[in-house]
Amino acid sequence: MNKWYIEKGEQGDIVISTRIRLARNLSDYPFPGKLDAKGRQAVNELVRDALLKDNTGGFSYLEMKNLTRSQAVSLAERHLISPEFASAAEGRALMLTEDESVSIMLCEEDHIRLQVMKAGLALHETYAIADQIDTVLDSRLKYAYDKRIGYLTQCPTNLGTAMRASVMLHLPALTSAGQINRLATTVSKLGLIIRGAYGEGSSPKGDIYQLSNQITLGITEKGALDNLQSITLQLVNQEREAAKMMMSNPGENDKIWRSLGILKSARLISCDEFMELISMVRLGASTGLIKVSLEQLNELIVNMQPATINAREGKSLTSIERDTIRAATVREALKNIG
Amino acid sequence: MLCQNCERNEATTHIKRVVNGDTAEIHLCRECAAHLGYGDFFSGFGINLGELFGGLMEAGLPSPGEAKVIRCPKCGCSFEDIAREGKLGCAECYTTFYDKLLPSLQRIHGRIQHNGKVSEAAGSEVKKINMLEQLREELKKAIAEENFELAAKLRDQIKETEKEAQA
Repeated sequence: MNKWYIEKGEQGDIVISTRIRLARNLSDYPFPGKLDAKGRQAVNELVRDALLKDNTGGFSYLEMKNLTRSQAVSLAERHLISPEFASAAEGRALMLTEDESVSIMLCEEDHIRLQVMKAGLALHETYAIADQIDTVLDSRLKYAYDKRIGYLTQCPTNLGTAMRASVMLHLPALTSAGQINRLATTVSKLGLIIRGAYGEGSSPKGDIYQLSNQITLGITEKGALDNLQSITLQLVNQEREAAKMMMSNPGENDKIWRSLGILKSARLISCDEFMELISMVRLGASTGLIKVSLEQLNELIVNMQPATINAREGKSLTSIERDTIRAATVREALKNIG
Repeated sequence: MLCQNCERNEATTHIKRVVNGDTAEIHLCRECAAHLGYGDFFSGFGINLGELFGGLMEAGLPSPGEAKVIRCPKCGCSFEDIAREGKLGCAECYTTFYDKLLPSLQRIHGRIQHNGKVSEAAGSEVKKINMLEQLREELKKAIAEENFELAAKLRDQIKETEKEAQA
C-alpha cells in the first residue's frame, strides 16, 4: 500500500501535507505524567481494545519498548510520532494504519494523541477522518470532558477542542527573501504559530515549516480550520510571488541547477547539505524549471533522514557509511533528471 | 479599577490582546504586571505559552503562611505543583482549581468557554443532573406524604448518583 506522503495533494507545490492532532484523556486515570507503568499499560490496552474490537480503521498496535532506537526516531522523522514520544519507551504504545496516515500515540503527554495526515492542503477532509475515529473512541471509552472548558488535557494550553491542525509548507523563496521572521510575527497575531518542521531551533532544514493553530479554547474546530486554511492560502500566494521574482534572476536560476548538479554527482552527502540542496531542486520543480515529480522529491526527503536510513539498513551506521548510502540513493533517484 | 490578578491593588498596567479576533483586556497592578512578564513589551510575548504557563500561574499561589494547602482529592496535586510544572495531574484537578486557573486560561486563549465538539461524557453528565433533579422532586413528595421508608431509599439513591456524577 502506498504511504500517504507519496500522494500529491491540493496546492502540492507548496503545501506538502496537512496534519490534525486531537488530544484526549480517560477520566478514570490520572494524566500520563502522574501515571505509573502499570496504569499506562492499562490505559493503552483500553484504547487498543476499543479500536481493535471490530478493527475500526485497520490499526496495528506496537509497544514502543519493542522498537529499536532507530526505528523509534525514524517514526518521528516521518512525523508519525513526536520526537518527545520517541525519546522514552516505557509505558508507551503506538497504533498505526498500514498507509501510516493515522497514528495514535498512547500515553504521550495525554492518554490519547490521535493524528491524521494527508498530502497537500486538506484541512477539512483530514479533520473529518480524525473526528470519525474520535467519535468511535468516545462511544467506547470515558473521556475527561468539562462542558465549560471542553476536553481536559494535561497542559492547559490544549484545553477546549484540544485540536492542533497544521500544514507543512515548503517556503524556499520567502526564506531566501528573509521574510520568515516577519511572517512569524504576523501569524502569531492571528492565533497561529510557524516553526521549522525539521531540525531544532532557529535554522529549519530544507526551508520546510509547520504552520499551526495556537488557540484551542473558545473557537470551534471549523473556525480554527477555516482560519488556518485562509492564512495558508495567503502564504502560498506570497511564496509563489516570491518564487517568480527569484526565478527571474539568472543567479538564483543557476543556484538551482548547481544544487541538482551536486546531488547528481556527490559520493558523500550529509543530511544538512542534502536538505539545503533538495530544497532548491524542489523549488525548481514547483516552478517548472526542472522536470521531476514533487511526490518523488517529498518521498526522498522523508527517506533520507538519518534514523530512517539506519532503520532501513537494519543497523546503526557510522556517519560516513550513512552519508555514502544517502549520496548513492540520491544519485540513483535523480539520474534521469535535468 | 482593581488589578484582575491580585484583586488588591489599583490596576495601572492595561494590556489589550487580540486573540481569536476578539479583544481581551487585562488590567494589572504594577507588581503583578512585572511578575507576569508584562513589565515591558519585549518580554512575555511570542514565547511558547506552554513553557510560560507555570510562570503565568505563580501569581495565583498563596503567600507563605496563608491558609493551608489545598490538594486535588484524586491525585494529590497542589496548585503549587501545577504552577511549577505547568501541567495538571488529572481531570479532577480542573474541578478543584477551576477558579484559580481561569485567569491563566483567559490569558492563554483569550476566552474561557469551550465552543466546539461535545463529548458523550457531557451527555451522561447532563443525564445524571436530570436524574438527580427528578429524584429530589420525588424525595420532596415522599417527605410531604410522610412516606419515610421511600424517602430513605430515595436519599440513598441520590447520594449514590451524586457520587457517580463526581467520579
